[in-house]
Amino acid sequence: MAALLLAAAELVLLMALAPGVVGYTRWVKARLQGRRGAGVLQPYRELRKTFGKSMVIADSASWIFHLAPWVVTASTVAAAALVPVVSVHQPADQLGDLFALMALLILGTVFLALGGLDPGTAFGGMGSSREMTVAALTEPTLAIAVLALALTSGSTSLGAIAGTVLANPANAIGPGHALAFAAFLIAMLAETGRLPIDNPATHLELTMIHEAMILEYSGPYLALLEWAAATKLTLLLVLAANMFAPWGIATAIEPGAVARSVGVILAKLLVLATLLAVLETRVAKLRLFRVPELLAVSFTLALLAATSSFFSR
Amino acid sequence: MDLIFSRLTMTGASAMLLVALAMMWRRHVPAYISAFRLQSAALAFVGAVVAWFGDVPELFLVAALILALKGWIVPRILTRMEARRPDARALQPLVNTEMSLLISGALAVAAYELSRPVAEVVNLPTRGGLPLALALIMVSLFVVVSRRQAIAQIVGFLMLENGIALLALLGAYGVPLVVELGVFLDVLLGVLVMQALVPRMESTVAR
Amino acid sequence: MTIPDTLLLIFGALAAGAIAALVAPSGAWARRVSLASAFLACAAALALGIQAVQSGAVWIWHSDAVLSPLGGITLRLDPLGAFFLVIVAVAGLPASLYGVGYLRHLDARPRGRAVHALMNAFLAGMYAVPLADNVAMFLFAWEVMALASYLLVVSDPEDETAAAAGVWYAVMTHGGFLALLAAFLLLAPDQRLEFDAMRATAGGLSPAATMAVVLLSVAAFGSKAGLVPLHVWLPRAHPAAPSHVSALMSAAMVKLGVYGVVRLLFDIMPPLPLGWGALLLGLGVLTALTGVLYSVAETHLKRILAYSTIENVGFIFVALGFALLMRGYGHGALAAMGLMVALLHTLNHAVFKTLLFLAAGAVVHATHASSLEALGGLIKRMPHTAVLCLVGILALAAVPPFNGFTSEWLTFQLLIAGARYTAPSLAIMLPLALAAVALVAGLAALSAVRLFGIGFLALPRTEGAREAREAPLSMRAAMALPAAACVALGLMPTVALTRLAAVTSDLGLPMGQLDTGTSLVLPLVGSRLAPLAIAALLGGAGLGAAFISRGRRTRVRIDSAWNCGRIIQSPRTEYTAAAFAEPLKRVFTGFYRPMHEVTVDVHPASPYFVRAMTLRADVVPWMEQALYGPVVRGARLATDLVSRIHTGSIHWYLTLLPIALFALLLLARWIR
Repeated sequence: MAALLLAAAELVLLMALAPGVVGYTRWVKARLQGRRGAGVLQPYRELRKTFGKSMVIADSASWIFHLAPWVVTASTVAAAALVPVVSVHQPADQLGDLFALMALLILGTVFLALGGLDPGTAFGGMGSSREMTVAALTEPTLAIAVLALALTSGSTSLGAIAGTVLANPANAIGPGHALAFAAFLIAMLAETGRLPIDNPATHLELTMIHEAMILEYSGPYLALLEWAAATKLTLLLVLAANMFAPWGIATAIEPGAVARSVGVILAKLLVLATLLAVLETRVAKLRLFRVPELLAVSFTLALLAATSSFFSR
Repeated sequence: MDLIFSRLTMTGASAMLLVALAMMWRRHVPAYISAFRLQSAALAFVGAVVAWFGDVPELFLVAALILALKGWIVPRILTRMEARRPDARALQPLVNTEMSLLISGALAVAAYELSRPVAEVVNLPTRGGLPLALALIMVSLFVVVSRRQAIAQIVGFLMLENGIALLALLGAYGVPLVVELGVFLDVLLGVLVMQALVPRMESTVAR
Repeated sequence: MTIPDTLLLIFGALAAGAIAALVAPSGAWARRVSLASAFLACAAALALGIQAVQSGAVWIWHSDAVLSPLGGITLRLDPLGAFFLVIVAVAGLPASLYGVGYLRHLDARPRGRAVHALMNAFLAGMYAVPLADNVAMFLFAWEVMALASYLLVVSDPEDETAAAAGVWYAVMTHGGFLALLAAFLLLAPDQRLEFDAMRATAGGLSPAATMAVVLLSVAAFGSKAGLVPLHVWLPRAHPAAPSHVSALMSAAMVKLGVYGVVRLLFDIMPPLPLGWGALLLGLGVLTALTGVLYSVAETHLKRILAYSTIENVGFIFVALGFALLMRGYGHGALAAMGLMVALLHTLNHAVFKTLLFLAAGAVVHATHASSLEALGGLIKRMPHTAVLCLVGILALAAVPPFNGFTSEWLTFQLLIAGARYTAPSLAIMLPLALAAVALVAGLAALSAVRLFGIGFLALPRTEGAREAREAPLSMRAAMALPAAACVALGLMPTVALTRLAAVTSDLGLPMGQLDTGTSLVLPLVGSRLAPLAIAALLGGAGLGAAFISRGRRTRVRIDSAWNCGRIIQSPRTEYTAAAFAEPLKRVFTGFYRPMHEVTVDVHPASPYFVRAMTLRADVVPWMEQALYGPVVRGARLATDLVSRIHTGSIHWYLTLLPIALFALLLLARWIR
C-alpha cells in the first residue's frame, strides 16, 4: 500500500516538475545567450493561461482531433507512471517494462501525428510525416540500448535495472554502460524534439516537426499537449538519470530515504537540464536529411554497447 | 585493483574507438584533425594507466611522447597542410555517412567476435580492451579505404597507427622502448614526407 | 459433438454451400445460402479448433476408400493442426459474413455464383490442410486451396492487372507444389507416404538429404507464406481478389505456409543444425524489412496491406527461426517460447489483417477508388468503418493495449532472453535481429498512421471520396468481430498464450506451467507486462485529460483551419501519401532507388511562369528485376526455341512421339 501511494506521489511529482524543467532549460539557455530570460515558473503561468482560453477547432477536423490530445496525455502519464523517480521499489514493475514505456510513447506519437493530419493542412501533414520518420528511426537505437542494459541486469524492468546498477557499481564505469548512455541521450533528443533534431523554440519554420503538428491546437488542448511534451522530456531525463546513474535513489520506503532521494533527483534533473541547455546553445539545428546520420551514430553506439556487454558479462 | 585497472583501460580504449566513430559523422578536415588529437590524448592516458598499474615506468615516457608528438606536433603539421589545401570544401567520402557508420559498427562487432579467442588466451587485466583495439584498427582501415581526399586518408592512417599502439599497450604492456622510439620517428618522418607529397597527389589524382 | 461429426458438419456445410451457390434459383439466394453455410462451417471449425487445442488430445482417422491409388487418406487432429483450424476460422467467420453485403452487386452476374462456390471450396481446402496426415491428402488439400484461390484472384474479368497477377501466382504456386512434392518424396524413401512413417525415419536421413528437404520445404512453404525473395506474387495477387478473399488469403492462406514449416521442421524433422535456424531467422528479418519498406512507399490501399502481410510473415519467421535455432542448440525452453511467440503472432496478425482487408474493401466499395491519393475525409462519411479500421490500424502500429503490441513485446523479450542464455558466438546476431525488428515496428507504425491519416482524415481528395456512403450493416458487423478480437487479445493475451503451451508441448517442446493471470509472465523473461492494468491506467488518465480540457466551460468556436494564416484550404494543398513517405524514401535511397521524373510546362513568355507540372516518383523494384528478370528472359528464350518445332507438318508431330518415348526409356535406363 505504501509502495502504491509512493508510486502515485512520484507520478504527481514528475508531472508537477515537468513545466519547471522546461522553464529552467529555457532560462539557462537565455542566460547563455546573453538574455535575461523569463523566470523558471513561466511555463506554469503559460499553462494556466492556455487552460483558461477558448478553443478554435478547424471545420475540417473530425473527432480524432479531439481524441488526440487526450490520448497523448494519457500515454505520457502512463509512461511516466512506469518510471522510478525516487524509489527502486516499483509497483510499476508489475505493470510494464522499458519496452512498454517505449510503446506507450509511440502510442502518443501516433495520435499526435493523426491529430496533425486531421485538419488537412499542409503544415500538419509535414510535421506528422517527419515526426513518424524520426520516431521510426529512433526505435532500433532504443531497443538495443535496452538490450545492453538488460544483458547485465537480466531484466528489462526499470526498477530491476536501477537496482542492478546500484548493486554492482563497477559495471557502470564499463564502456557498455557509457556507450548505451550516449546512445540513449541522442535518441532522447530525437524523441523529445530538441536541438539538433528539432527546435523547440520555433514556430513558422519550414524545418519544424513537433510544432508543425500542433499548429491547429489552441486553448486547453494546446495546454495538454504542451504539458505532455514537457512531461515526456522530464520523464526521459529522469529515466537517463536513474537507469544509468541511480545512486541516491531510495532503496527502502522510509521517510528519510525518500526525502533524500527527492533532493537527489532534483539535483540530477538540474544537472541534466543544464547540460541540455548548454548543448542546445552550442549546436546548430541539423538539416532534416542529416538527422538519419545522427541516428546512425547513436545506433552504432548502442550496438557497440550491446556487444561489449556481451563480452564483459 | 585489477578491476579498476581493467575498467580504466577499457574506458580509454572505448574513448579512442568512439572518437574514430564520431569522425565518420564529420565532414571537414579540421574536425578530423581535432578528433585525431583527442584520440592521441586518450592513447596517452591508456599508456599512463598501464605504466602506473602495470608497473612499467618507462611507459610514462612513451605516454609523454605520444602526447607531445601525436597530440601536438603531428596535428599542427596536419593543420598547416590543410591550410595550404586549395580546395577546402567538405570532404566527400566514397561511402555515405549512414553507411559508413553502420559498416564501422559491423566491423566493430566483427572485431569483438574475432578477437574472442585471443582475449581468452591473454590473462592480463587489460584483455577486455583488446577487441576495442582491433575494432579501432579495422575502423581506421575503413577510413583509409573510404575517404577520397589524401589528407583524410592520412588521418585514417595515423589512427591505424594509434590502434596498433593500443593493441601493443593492452596486449603486452607496450613494446621495448627502443622500438617505440623508432616507431615514433617513422610516424614523424612519414607525416613530413606526406606533407611534401600531398599537394602533388591531390593535383594528379584529382577527379 | 464428436470430432468426426463436427468435421462432417464443416465439410458438409461447405460442400452444400458450394452446390447451393451453383443451383440456387436466384443470385441473391446463391449468395445468402452459400455464405451462410460457409459461416456455419467456420463457426463449427472455430469451436472444434478451440476445443481440440484445449484438450490437447490427438485424433487419427484413416480410410483406404478415398484416393486409394495414392494409399488412401489419413486425417489427424492434434493441437498444432487445431490451432491452424482456429486461424482459418478466425478469418473465415468475418469474411463470410462480410460477403453478404459486399457481393450484392454480383447477384445479377453469373460470376457471382462462381465466386461464392469457389470461396466455399477455398475454405474447404484451407480446413483440410492442417488436418492432413499423409502426403496424398496434404497435397490434394493444398492444391484445392491453391486452385480455388487462383480462380478467385482472376475472377474479375474487368481488372486487367488481375490476369498478370494470376500468372505470377500460378507460376509461384506450382513451383512451390513441385518443391513440396520433391521434399516429401525425399522424406519417404520407402514410398510410405504417411507423416507418421516420416516422423520415424526423418532422423535417419543423410545430411545431404536433410539439407535438400529443408531447402525444398522452406522454398515451397515460404513461397506460399510470402518469404522474400519468393514474395513477388503476393502483393499482386492479394489485391486482385475480392476483398473478403484478400482477407482470407492474407490472414489464413499465407499462415498455412507457416503451418507447413512448423509441421515439417518441428514435428517431422529432428532438431536441425544451427545454420538452418539462422537462415530462417535471417530470411525473416529480410522479409520483414522488405515488406515494411515497400508498404511505406506504396499508395494502393490493398497493396499496402499485402506488403504489410509480408512484413508480418517476416516477424513470424524471426520467431520461428529463433525457435529452430534454439531447438538445434538444445535449449528447449527458449525454443518453446519462440514457437509460442510465432504462433501467437500468427493469430494476432490473422485477426487484425482480416479487419484491415475488410475495411479496405469497404472503402473501395464505397469510393470506387483504391489509391490512397484518391481518398481522404472518410471518417465523416463512414464513421463506423473508420472506428473499426482505427482499431486495426493501432494493432498494426503495435501500440498498447492492442494485440499487435503483445506479440511485438514478446518478440523483443524473446530475442533478449536468447542473447542472455546462449553462447556469445550465437548470441551476437540477436541484437542485430532485435534492431531490425524494432525498426520494422517503428516503420509499421509510420505506415499505419499514413494509411489512416491520409485515407480517412482531412479533406476528401476526389468526388468518389466526397460521395462515399457507409458500408451495409453486414459488412460493419463482419468488421466488428475481428476488431473485438483485437482488443480482447490485446487486453488478455494470456488466454491465448496458455493454450498455445499445449501446442508446443505436443511438439516435444514443453513450456512448463504458465501464469494464467492477467499479466504476461514467462519463464526466462525477467520482466512482466500487465496489458489490462496499462489499459486501465490509459483510460483513467485519458478521462482525466478530457475532464480538465473540456470539463470546465471552455468556449469552442468552429472556424476554418489556421495553418499559419493561409487563406484557402483545398484538398490540393493537403499532404499526400507520397509526400508522407518522402523523408523515408530519402533515408533509404539505396533500397528504393527512387525514380524522379519532373515535367514542367512553362509559359512561352518566361520560364518562371509555370502552367503545369507533373511529378512521377516511382520505386524501382530492383530486387525483383535482378532475381526474376533472368528467369523470365530464360523462359522466353526457351519458349522461342520450342516454338521452332512447330512446323505445322502432321508427320513431324507424329515422329516426335516415338522420339520422346525413346528418350524417356533411355532416361529411365540411365537412372537405374
